[in-house]
Amino acid sequence: MKTRNDITLIAVLFFSMVLCSCKNHTEEYHSVTDRIAVESKNYHGISISSNKYHENKEMNEITIGEQTFLIPERKSQIKSYACTECHSKPLHEMNNEANTKKAHWDIALNHADENTMNCITCHNPKNMDALVSLTKKSVDFNASYKICAQCHTKQAKDWEGGAHGKQIGGWAPPRASLTCVNCHNPHDPHFESKWPAIFNTQKIKERK
Amino acid sequence: MDEGNKKWFSLGLGINRKHSKASACQKTSGCCQSSKDENPNESSLKKDGFDQVFELPMDRRSAFKKLTASLLIGAGAASTSCSFFAGDETKEKAQIEWEEQFKGNYKLMSDEEKQKTVDRLVRSYQLRTGKTINLSSKNAEEDVLFGYAFNISKCKGYMDCVNACVEENNQDRNSQMQYIRIHEMKDGKGFNFSEADDNYYHEVPAEGHFYMGTQCFHCDNPPCVDVCPVEATWREDDGIVVVDYDWCVGCRYCMAACPYDGRRFNWSKPIVPEEDINKNQHYLGNRVRKKGVMEKCTFCVQRSRVGKNPACVEACPTGARIFGNLLDPNSTIRWVLENKKVFRLKEDLGTEPKFWYFMD
Repeated sequence: MKTRNDITLIAVLFFSMVLCSCKNHTEEYHSVTDRIAVESKNYHGISISSNKYHENKEMNEITIGEQTFLIPERKSQIKSYACTECHSKPLHEMNNEANTKKAHWDIALNHADENTMNCITCHNPKNMDALVSLTKKSVDFNASYKICAQCHTKQAKDWEGGAHGKQIGGWAPPRASLTCVNCHNPHDPHFESKWPAIFNTQKIKERK
Repeated sequence: MDEGNKKWFSLGLGINRKHSKASACQKTSGCCQSSKDENPNESSLKKDGFDQVFELPMDRRSAFKKLTASLLIGAGAASTSCSFFAGDETKEKAQIEWEEQFKGNYKLMSDEEKQKTVDRLVRSYQLRTGKTINLSSKNAEEDVLFGYAFNISKCKGYMDCVNACVEENNQDRNSQMQYIRIHEMKDGKGFNFSEADDNYYHEVPAEGHFYMGTQCFHCDNPPCVDVCPVEATWREDDGIVVVDYDWCVGCRYCMAACPYDGRRFNWSKPIVPEEDINKNQHYLGNRVRKKGVMEKCTFCVQRSRVGKNPACVEACPTGARIFGNLLDPNSTIRWVLENKKVFRLKEDLGTEPKFWYFMD
């Protein structure tokens, strides 16, 4: 009887030691992904918002797929908009005019090759104030991402979700992202190489 | 002394331990105040400053040591504050110094105590320089867990992030301390850190190379926090791993424990020209540090806790850096984690970094 009591006592002691020796940190989750899955189930939104960080910029709300977010308004940022201020007639009529002034001399199209693209691949020749899709549907300048997304489908998908491009204002909702043409010049989308912004001279000394 | 009641740190060797109840304050994350709701009767939890220092049970030898140290400081402070010749400002300065010397660990402070120490630091800065800083003690927001994603296809090595980080976080300009490292790696060699160059100076992107950045990864299971002998570093409720610069003793255990080279040490007094100081500060973030303490990336706590992106994210011209709330199912960071093939550095260590890499 006594030995049995002893064994029980030892067993109890052993188990309590095992229990106590466990680290008492947040060991409830096996990994941070598990933790995210559990803790985000009861997500009810947060009290902070990033609204005030882009309220001085004019933004448009767009919805693609399941995502709704803000992008900067475009038309007011184009230097010589509205195009109809000069282009009062359709393009083919202007071409035939005698002594036409050569406009847009500063724009060279350096985007894909001639077989793929020319001006009217994106610009609407019938309505100069708008863009045009591959199937000749008119597209507003504020929705220019729709034009880009026709070819660059993979980038467009990533941009839609937030993996491509740049979120501005802050991380807190509502989401605001730059649109394609805010970084890429549609006429010349290539980026030049440049020098790094900073060079650590102290590191050179320390590592000698 | 009941283990559950204590607010300061002890080695916990089990001597005189009567209750096996786990101390609420030995958790790695959050501040201990949050545990107060569980036992609202224990008013003694609210000890800070003098109480924390003086009510500590100790042997004669350490008591004498502490007394001598404190007396030296006290004598200095007392002589100034009681001096007939010293002006009001000098007296106030001495008073602030005295109170700062005996304040407790930030992790254990109540909101009121946090506000008090922040006010003291602002006033002290004002007395020293005549300028006013905006020092915050904003706590972690509910339902927020910060995470970061880095696109190695997009990073071009411009280092605008490094520049922005140094300016935002008041890092020592003398030793050119930088939290972020951008590693230039050869294509086809994988993550080969021994052959990578993190201090290049030529036009970028260089042909045949790719770029990846490292900084503090704010591990969910941070080894640096486990090794700190004084609990001067911990993980906050929103996942940010922070340092109390006033509690750090500068032993650099955390620096040795970090497998990612995420921590930096102030070997000399950090120097930032007065006109370059970012005056929008947080106690746990970019406030001006002193010699002999650790510091590191805090996901720009002074920015992220008010909804902004960290300075590196905002500065990156390529969009390679993505930051957000891991608990928000609609956040862009969650989209990246769910739709891209993400991985982390040294995942097998079990440190659970909240910093993911991915490719286009």
